[in-house]
Amino acid sequence: MGLEQIEKPPTVSTPENMKMAADGSQVSLTRRNKPGTKAKDYCRWPDEPFEEMDSTLAVQQYIQQLIKNDPSNIDLILTNPETHDEGVWKYEHLRQFCMELNGLAVRLQSQCFPATCTQMTATEQWIFLCAAHKTPKECPAIDYTRHTLDGAACLLNSYKYFPSRVVIKESSVAKLGSVCRRVYRIFSHAYFHHRAIFDEFETKTFLCLRFTRFVLKYALMSTENLIVPIPKSGDDSIIATSGESEA
Amino acid sequence: MQVIRLPQARIAVLVGERKGQESLKGDLIRRIKMLEYALKQERAKFHRLKFGCDPPSMNDIKPPTDETGISNEVAPDLEVPFSSVSNITWRQGRQLLRQYLQEIGYTDTIIDVRSNRVRSLLGLNNNSEQDENNSPSINGNENNKRASESQGRRTPAKKSQTGVAELMILDSEAAVLANFEFLGPPDVEMSDEDDLAEGLDIPLDADDCAVKTSKRKTKGIKSDDVDAEAEEVLNELNLLTEAEDTNTSSNKIEDSDWTKSLGYPNSNDTTRRPLISGNDEDVDSSLGLGELAQLTVGNEAETTYDVSNSKEAYRRTWNAKYTLRSHFDGVRALAFHPQEPVLITASEDHTLKLWNLQKTVLTKKSAGLDVEPLYTFRAHTGPVLCLTMSTNGEHCYSGGLDGAIHCWNLPNWNIDPYDSYDPAVLRSTLDGHTDAVWGLSVNHTGGHLVSCSADGYVKLWSPQSKVQYLNTFGSESEGIPASVDFVREVNEQIVVAYNDKVSRCVIYDIETTKSLVRLETNEISFMIGRFINKVVSHPTLPITITAHEDRHIRFWDNRTGNLMHSMVAHLEPVTSLAIDAHGLYLLSGSHDCSIRLWNLDNRTCEQEITAHRKKFDESIFDVAFHPSRPYIASAGADAVAKVFV
Repeated sequence: MGLEQIEKPPTVSTPENMKMAADGSQVSLTRRNKPGTKAKDYCRWPDEPFEEMDSTLAVQQYIQQLIKNDPSNIDLILTNPETHDEGVWKYEHLRQFCMELNGLAVRLQSQCFPATCTQMTATEQWIFLCAAHKTPKECPAIDYTRHTLDGAACLLNSYKYFPSRVVIKESSVAKLGSVCRRVYRIFSHAYFHHRAIFDEFETKTFLCLRFTRFVLKYALMSTENLIVPIPKSGDDSIIATSGESEA
Repeated sequence: MQVIRLPQARIAVLVGERKGQESLKGDLIRRIKMLEYALKQERAKFHRLKFGCDPPSMNDIKPPTDETGISNEVAPDLEVPFSSVSNITWRQGRQLLRQYLQEIGYTDTIIDVRSNRVRSLLGLNNNSEQDENNSPSINGNENNKRASESQGRRTPAKKSQTGVAELMILDSEAAVLANFEFLGPPDVEMSDEDDLAEGLDIPLDADDCAVKTSKRKTKGIKSDDVDAEAEEVLNELNLLTEAEDTNTSSNKIEDSDWTKSLGYPNSNDTTRRPLISGNDEDVDSSLGLGELAQLTVGNEAETTYDVSNSKEAYRRTWNAKYTLRSHFDGVRALAFHPQEPVLITASEDHTLKLWNLQKTVLTKKSAGLDVEPLYTFRAHTGPVLCLTMSTNGEHCYSGGLDGAIHCWNLPNWNIDPYDSYDPAVLRSTLDGHTDAVWGLSVNHTGGHLVSCSADGYVKLWSPQSKVQYLNTFGSESEGIPASVDFVREVNEQIVVAYNDKVSRCVIYDIETTKSLVRLETNEISFMIGRFINKVVSHPTLPITITAHEDRHIRFWDNRTGNLMHSMVAHLEPVTSLAIDAHGLYLLSGSHDCSIRLWNLDNRTCEQEITAHRKKFDESIFDVAFHPSRPYIASAGADAVAKVFV
């Protein structure tokens, strides 16, 4: 009796009960990583069609689902499922890139030291200044990497520019380009200075390839800035030429 | 005739209603006086302590020892079914009390004025009431304090009768104490625990209560016994010890006046009775709750909660204040610094982030009270699943899907977010698990760390020692551990939640690695499919609390392994639990997107906050109480953590 207010939910929400029952009998219907899930089973649930995703995070869910299924199927990953808001689509992809770039940063931390990589460079042509500071600074490469990712995390999560993950202002979409340019330097530094790390990471994630295709598809960066050679792709001649020119 | 009769009946009804309301009013007035009395007591005590002259009885006061006495009491107590009616009346009573307290404003002058008025209203003294006052069921707190002032005067023999008045006192006193904590220095707030437990012990017995009630009824109307007690107390305080005999007669007159004014006709017993029984119920519930509630009194840090609490409304309402957004994916875990307004979040985006709530960055990048992270911990190569902070706040430990447990040195929380990379922040890595690490917990005394992994094992570590690995627990037959915690009440034990076909918790001794108790029901089949998401140990009592996929929260007795209580707590799986440092409140998070705050005394939900959005079928992963400050926090699949104040 004392638990009146507690006992209410199950009686009130019969649909919920039915859903629970269904969940109980067929575990795969709930897409959850319950505590104790083995690493190999993490997020291993049946795909949810994009149309059925009713969450405000549907785009992120969908992108992650595609990447999980086959990270090398870049064309599919970059195909906006419907005439969905392109700003959101780009935004969510960029979030995903920055997130996955953490993996590269972790690997760089073990090899890229301030003593050896005193500046953020790729080729000899440019020294990149770290924009995270009040006055841009010549940070060592590892600091540049970390600061750039941290700054991107702050910007992409900024309430001012990206208050919603469903609708994004056009003025905020304009910010995405500069984030792309900065984080791309992490790829290029890794490629030119820590090739083993880059290759190991790229083989696993196809991240640089996906990123390059992404920025080209949505014209977020210009071709001459994409200095990391990437494999030729029959259906995308721009990338092929960019790869050749730098190789 | 009928035409006339009907209005008469209506009049009778209305008169009855009015009487009921007046009796309610009378009840409240008596409660106010009890509050005043308690305030007086506190002030007197404070005064005495301030001027250093401890009366002899004050030496009894011990610092709160949370285990003694209380622990035995609560287990049976929790079985007591509370009627919702009594809960409601009790709550309403408390609410009104607090409103009155607000009106009173706690100021000295007002209290003095009021007490003078009450005294003039009540006359001076009353012998029979004084006897009742002396009865043993007044809780120890009261006795101690009062004895200090009135020992010499208390000559009349104690009556065995324990009136309802005292029970009501207990009730109101619980409320008073909860409210009045801030008045006295915390270290002396708590009087002898054992006495308190004993005092409560008596009325806990149901038979005893029944006897009292009947006695009460046969005794007739004593509408003013609480009044009289309050009045007597006031007399004591003012040392009006002389001329007791003369006072008696005058007081009788006052009594009847008082009775009339309160609308209790002496001849009409029935109108009075409902109130009494209502009060009995109040008392019953308050006793169930009261024990734990009174425990708060000795807790220094709890005071910080209650100061604001008493100044606000009936109970504390938590509001979202800080939004911690900087993660790219679900926030799986969070942990507060033990002292500072600092917390760390662990996310599926492979990172952990350090936040200082006092550094709300109002740069062009953020609006309102957005907090920007001060440091990003990078070392995991997969989602970070669990996190815990060392007791001294110097280190934190994180476990990930990559099977690694990283030990981190906490950077200074005033660090420049864009400082150079210091590899020494990653202190060490504990290797041993071969699959995802899902649970971590630190021992407050031994500095031990316990981890549980999807590889089926639970491991004990001493992360600050040279030899970090200590022991492995469990066997594959138990299933996969989902969550682990130290048994706080004992310290040398851990409780592990296993999920296999049957879900259950097992308590192990950390020295011998032997399993001591299995928390399960007699019907083993009961726990089939009741997947446990989280297990937490009560900080002071031998109670383990589990959060289940079947939307329940369950309470277990560590001694017997029995299920003490089971309740549907959310609309969807309960994923996370946290208990405040003093064991009074439970916070639960669920995939239904809400967090709920539970009063552990009566296990009722005090507040529900919808805090996060869903990603796939997941919403809230973790909740936490700040160990020493009034903050609570939730971590969500929507990549956001929220802090409530």
